[in-house]
Amino acid sequence: MHIDWAALGVVAVVSIVSSVIFTILLAGGIRLVSVAKIKSNEGGSGTVTVSMGYVLIGIAGLLVLYGIYLIVPQFH
Amino acid sequence: MFTWRLGLYRHCQVLTSTTTTRSGWETDVTELFVVITVIAVALIFDFTNGFHDSANAMAGPIATGALRPRTAVILAALLNLVGACLSTAVAKTISGGFFDDALITAPIILAGLLGAIIWNLVTWLIGLPSSSSHALFGGLIGAVIVGAGIASVHGWVIVSKVLLPAIVAPLVAGIAAAWATRLAYRITRKTPSVHSNTGFKYGQAFTASMVALAHGTSDGQKTMGVITLVLIAANLQATGTGPEMWVILASGLAIGLGTYSGGWRIMRTMGKGIVEIETPQGAASGAATSATILASAHLGFGLSTTHVSTGSILGSGVGRDGAEVRWSVARRMVFAWLLTLPGAGLVGGLAALLSDQGIPGVAALLVLLTAACLVIYFMSRRHRITHANVTDSHEVLVLAAAAPATTYPDDPRLEALPTPKKKKKKNKRPKERSAA
Repeated sequence: MHIDWAALGVVAVVSIVSSVIFTILLAGGIRLVSVAKIKSNEGGSGTVTVSMGYVLIGIAGLLVLYGIYLIVPQFH
Repeated sequence: MFTWRLGLYRHCQVLTSTTTTRSGWETDVTELFVVITVIAVALIFDFTNGFHDSANAMAGPIATGALRPRTAVILAALLNLVGACLSTAVAKTISGGFFDDALITAPIILAGLLGAIIWNLVTWLIGLPSSSSHALFGGLIGAVIVGAGIASVHGWVIVSKVLLPAIVAPLVAGIAAAWATRLAYRITRKTPSVHSNTGFKYGQAFTASMVALAHGTSDGQKTMGVITLVLIAANLQATGTGPEMWVILASGLAIGLGTYSGGWRIMRTMGKGIVEIETPQGAASGAATSATILASAHLGFGLSTTHVSTGSILGSGVGRDGAEVRWSVARRMVFAWLLTLPGAGLVGGLAALLSDQGIPGVAALLVLLTAACLVIYFMSRRHRITHANVTDSHEVLVLAAAAPATTYPDDPRLEALPTPKKKKKKNKRPKERSAA
C-alpha cells in the first residue's frame, strides 16, 4: 500500500499558507483603503495609506494571476 | 470487424466473447450503436458533472450576494467551457489505477457512466454535494466487478484514492479556511462593513472564477478522454491522436450547460445549509478552496473539488465566532461521500449486466436511464429550487409528505419541520432499482 505522505504534507502546508497569505493581503488592503477613506472624509490626507492598501490588493491580484497561470496548461 | 482495444490496447475478453459468434455485419452495427450510445451517455454524465459541481465554485458568492445567482452560473458556465477547451491532453487512463486498464471496454464504460449519472442525480435530489469523479470510478468499479470479478479491483487504491482524500480534503481546506476567516475578521474588525464588504466580494468573485476555470480543465477533460478512447477503440480515430474538435466543443458545452443549469439544490446546501456565510467568510473560504485545489492539482496529491469546497465552507464557519455550523448536514455529507463509491458501483454493476448484451441490452439501458432521470426530475419538482429561491432557506426537501405540496421555501411551516432522514433513505432505493 503506497500513500504519498510527503506530497500530502506539501499540499496541506502550501494550501493553508497560501490561503492565509491571500486573505491577509486582501483584508489588509481593504482595511488600509477604508482607513484612508475615513481620514479624507475627516479632512486629512490618506494618499500614503490608500496607495499602501492598493499595493496589498495588487499583490493579492498577482496571486490570482499566478493561480490562472497554474490552471492554464498552455502557459507552461 | 472492429477490434475492441482500450486502455493498454489489449483485446478485451468481455466483448470478443460475445461478438465472435456473430457475423461481421451484425457486429459492426452493434458496435457502432454502442459507440454512439457511449458518446451520448458520456455527454449526459458531463452535464450532470457540471450542475453537480456548479456549487463548488459559486455557492459562496451566491450566498453572500457577491454575485447574483444568474450572473454566477453564467460566469461559471463560460469559465467551464473555456477551461474544457484549454486542456485537451486527454487523460491517459480513466481507470484511475483501481483496476487493470485492459478491463475497460465500451460496455464497462457505459455501465460506469450510468452508475455515475444516477448517483449524481440522486445526490442532487437530496441536495448533497458528492464527487463526480468518485461517482464515475464507483460506476466503473461496479461494472468491472460484474464483468471480471471482485479480485480484479485493487482494494488499497480505494483507500488511498477515495477514503483518505475524503478525510484529508475537508481537513486541509477546513483548517485553511478557518485560519483565513479568523484573520479576515481580526484584520477588518474596526473597518466599517460598508467598506469591507465590497472588497471581500470582489475577492470572492475572483477566487470563485478560478475554481470554475480549474474545474473546466480537469473535469471537461474526463469526458473528452472517455469519448476519444471509445472512438479510437472503434477504429473511428487514429491511435495516439488527441480529441477531435467536435469532441472538445461538445464536452465543453455539456459541462457548461450543466453548470449554467445551476444544480440549485446542492447550491442551497453548500451556500446556506452548512453555515450562514458572511462576506469575509466567503472570501476566506474562496481563497482556501482555490489554493487547496491548485496545490493538490499541481503537487501530486489529488483532492476532489467537491470535498475541498465543502471543507472550506465548513472551516469558514468554524473560524467565525458565533457562526452556527450545522454538523448534522456535514455528517450527512460525509456519509454521502463514503457511499458514493458503493452506491454508484451498485448501479454500475447492475447496468453492466445489460450493457454487454448487444443492441437490446443497450437500448433497454437507455430506456431505464431515461425513466430514472424523469422520475428524479419529477420528484425534484415537488420542492423546486431555482435561482430565484436558492438563498431563501437552508433546507432541501424531497418528499411531498415532508411539507404541504404548495408552499414557498420561506413558508414558516417548512422551518418547523425536521429534515426527514429516514424517508430520504427510503427514497433512494426505488430509483436505483429503476435505473438497473
